[in-house]
Amino acid sequence: MFSSIDALQNAFAEQRYIAERSLSTIIYLAQKMHKPLFLEGEAGVGKTEIAKTLATLMNAPLIRLQCYEGLDINTALYEWNYAAQLLHLRLLEASGASRETMQSSLFTRNFLHSRPLLQAVEQSAQGMPTVLLVDEIDRADEEFEAFLLELLSDFQVTIPELGTIKTDHPPIVVITSNRTREIHDALKRRCIYHWIDYPSFEKELAIVRARAPHVPDSLARQVTAFIGELRRMELFKAPGVAETIDWVTALIALDQTALSTDVIRDTAGVILKYQDDIEAVIAHDLLSAMLDRATAIADSV
Amino acid sequence: MSAEIDIAIESRGKLIENLLLFGRLCKLLGMHVTPTSMIEVAQALDHISLGHKADFYFTLRALMVHHKRDLPLFDKAFKVFWKTPGEKRPILNPPPPKEWNSKRKLQFLPPLDALPEQQLDPESEAKFIAIVPTHSTLEVLRHKNFSDMSPEELMAAKRLVSELSWSLGQRTTRRFTAGKGRTLDMRRAFRQNMRFAGEMLYRPTRTQKIKPRPFVILCDISGSMERYTRLLLHFMHTLASSIYQVESFVFSTQLMHITRQLRRTSIDAALREIGSTVNIWGSGTRTDAALHTFNYRWARRLLGRGAVVLLITDGWDRGNSDHLRQEMARLQRSCYRLIWLNPLLGDTNYAPLTQGAKAMLPYVDDFLPVHNLASLDMLARELTRVDWRRSQKNYSLSKTLS
Repeated sequence: MFSSIDALQNAFAEQRYIAERSLSTIIYLAQKMHKPLFLEGEAGVGKTEIAKTLATLMNAPLIRLQCYEGLDINTALYEWNYAAQLLHLRLLEASGASRETMQSSLFTRNFLHSRPLLQAVEQSAQGMPTVLLVDEIDRADEEFEAFLLELLSDFQVTIPELGTIKTDHPPIVVITSNRTREIHDALKRRCIYHWIDYPSFEKELAIVRARAPHVPDSLARQVTAFIGELRRMELFKAPGVAETIDWVTALIALDQTALSTDVIRDTAGVILKYQDDIEAVIAHDLLSAMLDRATAIADSV
Repeated sequence: MSAEIDIAIESRGKLIENLLLFGRLCKLLGMHVTPTSMIEVAQALDHISLGHKADFYFTLRALMVHHKRDLPLFDKAFKVFWKTPGEKRPILNPPPPKEWNSKRKLQFLPPLDALPEQQLDPESEAKFIAIVPTHSTLEVLRHKNFSDMSPEELMAAKRLVSELSWSLGQRTTRRFTAGKGRTLDMRRAFRQNMRFAGEMLYRPTRTQKIKPRPFVILCDISGSMERYTRLLLHFMHTLASSIYQVESFVFSTQLMHITRQLRRTSIDAALREIGSTVNIWGSGTRTDAALHTFNYRWARRLLGRGAVVLLITDGWDRGNSDHLRQEMARLQRSCYRLIWLNPLLGDTNYAPLTQGAKAMLPYVDDFLPVHNLASLDMLARELTRVDWRRSQKNYSLSKTLS
């Protein structure tokens, strides 16, 4: 797949994902060692995007499981199509089928809905490259965590009526967490763990250039530097990279070519999502000073 | 087997009846009591002298308690149920509300003629009492302010604190399990009805699973709280070891996370470790700064899933009260219930008039004293009531004050 870490880093860059060395190493190791990748970090730093990029690069379908509290086997693994089974049963009855036919034809693959986890196992069992994204696992409960643990250890699914589906080439698994609660060590231990931090100015600028190529360079620099300044302030929720990209796009839509205190006040809702934070930034006596500092950084680099 | 029980019932009159009632009480309290264990108890009573209350107690305990954590619960239930008539009846922590409705409550009140008096000979009773503190000394200790206690009394109080049993508020999760409910469990329904050729005769249902709420304790250890600190740390240790998910913090001018230290099984080891790592003992209080740190660093990680926050402080605060107001408001918004425990509230003349107290009061859901053992009991009861719906915001006291 990827012959070296450099190759992986370049391939990601071609897909407009700027991955630093540490992250590239981790991804490389995950696919070499067939271990799941556990990515933790603040919202909007590009965790989910890694899985998407990986899928594109490997030309594999991305199978995504969005987690929530109470996620169970029926929605994560498989579910029988009961309505269809009942109808089928009625038809068999009407046609006077024997008991054996009834039993053997009711629980077949036709009546099985594969949910994301089973899909991933089935696809990789057929030898197809697969990327499985288990998104925001912190939203799920401990019961699901325990279940996932079992699946990740041997990638086999047993359906009592059909038998065991097993794969020798486990899919690439990416698990993300926003850390709204701590995930149990047992799960983390089976994965390669990586904390994604907010990027440096240079890296973020590269990301903005890659993701919003139509934005004038001076604006991109200024916006990136200003976001960096915001993250230094103590905010309840600092803006992520996704917000930076949104913001430059928004500014372009408003035909702005440079930041000013008025523009910041008008568009604060794009980058800050808590009223307290917006008030703190807008009412900040030093807003213009912050902007000056950001402009200076943008010009100097 | 049933013949044996019949004989037992005949020969003992009300004892077996009461025994079964006691078994059901224990079961209601959440202990794992099965009919088998009750049959065993009935059989075992043949082998001991019923006049000896201590023997009776140990027999019941040996056969009905299967887990260390149930011991205090059993003791409490035993004390209430098998008491001599006329004794003042202490109040038990009510069990989780789901199982406890008003009808059952009446049914399971301890019967007044619980134990035939003549079966207890006075000597053995005296022996039994000598083991535990007598009721009257206990009662005095229960109502004595922590700050007025002598070192010996404090020791006794600490022991009692560690014996308190806590059953916390619970919440309905979004996870479904098999049980009585409104949604049809298709998976089970289909399987079970296969033998009737798909005719839907059985309708198994699913019900929402119930889990204990996560719990966060923020305890003030500044100079003004000094007299209470040690005992409160004991209290926090008990909570940390008996409740499913507790995160503990102490604060004065800064906030410190002490969950890991409190996980030590031995309270002394835990206190030693806290003593050596926490360097903010007895300084002034900056509640606003401490809450700010909590809100910004920890709240998002700890206050999901309907968490209950216990804030233990006397409300003496040197910080900025506007900031304090903001931080309290944010804290209340992000948790399920914010309970303020104030040791000064035990004093009948106390009114929350300090700057800090005035700023905090409008944002707490409950305002409770924490100055003696009786108030801890009250807290235990309050915590089990936390369930199901959020208390009305803005504690009524704040309304009367303003």
